[in-house]
Amino acid sequence: MEKRYSLTAAQNMHYRWIREYGTQQVSGLSIVAAFRMDIDTDLLKKCIELEKQRYSCLRLRFTAPDESGEIKQYIAEYEPEEMPVKDLRDMSLEEADSIMQKWAYETFDGDDIPMCEFRIVKLPEGYNGFFVHMDHRLNDSVGVAVMATDIMSLYKHFAAGTDMPAPPADFEKVLVSDLEKAANPKRLARAKRFWDSELDRLGEPLYSDIQGRSVLEEARKKHGDPELRAADIERKELFVAVKDYQLEVDSMQRAINFCLHNQISPTNLMLLVIRTYLSKVNDGQEDITVENFISRRSTNDELTSGGSRTLCFPCRMVIPGNTSFIDAARMIQNHQNHIYMFSGYDPEFIRDEMKKRYNTPDDTTYVSVYLTYQPPMTKDDLRTDPNKLPMHVKWFANGAATKKMYLTISHLPDRKLNFSYHYQTAHLTEKDAELMYYYMMRILFRGIEDPGRTITEIIDMV
Amino acid sequence: MEEKFKVIAAEYCELDADKITNDMSFRDDLGMSSLDVMTFLGDLEDEFDVEFDLADDDKKLARISTVGGAIELLKEYMD
Repeated sequence: MEKRYSLTAAQNMHYRWIREYGTQQVSGLSIVAAFRMDIDTDLLKKCIELEKQRYSCLRLRFTAPDESGEIKQYIAEYEPEEMPVKDLRDMSLEEADSIMQKWAYETFDGDDIPMCEFRIVKLPEGYNGFFVHMDHRLNDSVGVAVMATDIMSLYKHFAAGTDMPAPPADFEKVLVSDLEKAANPKRLARAKRFWDSELDRLGEPLYSDIQGRSVLEEARKKHGDPELRAADIERKELFVAVKDYQLEVDSMQRAINFCLHNQISPTNLMLLVIRTYLSKVNDGQEDITVENFISRRSTNDELTSGGSRTLCFPCRMVIPGNTSFIDAARMIQNHQNHIYMFSGYDPEFIRDEMKKRYNTPDDTTYVSVYLTYQPPMTKDDLRTDPNKLPMHVKWFANGAATKKMYLTISHLPDRKLNFSYHYQTAHLTEKDAELMYYYMMRILFRGIEDPGRTITEIIDMV
Repeated sequence: MEEKFKVIAAEYCELDADKITNDMSFRDDLGMSSLDVMTFLGDLEDEFDVEFDLADDDKKLARISTVGGAIELLKEYMD
């Protein structure tokens, strides 16, 4: 029998959402990767099968829950998969995307079953490739990008005689190392001390909403507590809509140049921009928390082993309005660096501690916005390569949001910067996403054109 | 101690441990991001049974920009 392992903190985050929201749909992860070229379908299938042997996180399965609701994971033996070929050429690319979007809503229901499936796709405009749908506990977005690159490298090897790509690192070895580190009592105690000291120093966080103060005021009325500092989480209406905006290459480069010149990471710059927007729409509130997803891939093995390694932590940004833009960016960077040191800690422990300290009502939160910044995979992604084959790569939302607003910022193959706003339609509309993007860009460029401007000045200007 | 330090550092970069020198910058020479460096420090804490107190001390963080600076800092915590 295959060896059973506990879930890691990152996997548990998704499993908790599955249990809380009652559907595996919240843990769906889907992508299409296609090139504008003729593809030998049988060869592509062979490469995907080979990938499932090389990249063993794709073979993860989960046991049935025990009496306490806990499950275990194991790596199943490789089995070939029925891999359908879907011919979507007789339509527009937009229509093909909308069909694939429906596939992304499918769920993996059951225990001890494969949690990943591939489809070969023939798309309009000459694009050919594959669509993959999996449970997020198998892999995260960086891992999926590594997997897609490996499959295409295998294809090029067999089709064109290029070098065989080096095998990915051993997923099981990295999993074991992760579980061992997480169980280290000294490491756990250090992380707890850090997070507790944050609460000791700053006290209870204060909710800030994309739609302004009225949301917190409504929560206060609903719970009969005029001092309440958290607001309700939507648990029933989970439908999510997606609105994408693209920042042009020149503007993207200006932002990246600011980061390089000032040694500020793009993630921290975006955290500052989001918190300034939230401050603006919440009457200048200075205490803003945004949840930031951290893709914990640092060692050479972690980079290529696959697995779900992303965790999200609250980034608490208490920044007085008279702080300059650049100082605020440095404050956030310093804070984030400390969080990084404890990024293996299960964020649920932090939420448990806050609930224990502040006795917040069930199903409430301090956070309305979640951020993922996906850095370019290589430096080449930031340069234009005229010889690059045109690609159609699209990430599909799973259609069931556990978060009010989830913003993913990623670099596109054409070097534009994509801002993908996933928002719960129960409370937000496209207009909210549009306004947020509009003001975020104004804040960003007012800030980087004169980093000495204060946060209050920037808010007044935009 | 330095040898073990560099063996761990080599897990985070494309250089072998014996090619890592004290004047190297984590960012520019080893290609490590802030997340990588801070995760590496966590591994050092486990390996050498120390606890870095970096809160409210930007100077300590600045010293960690080079391999030699980090080794010196680690030695102070081990003493």
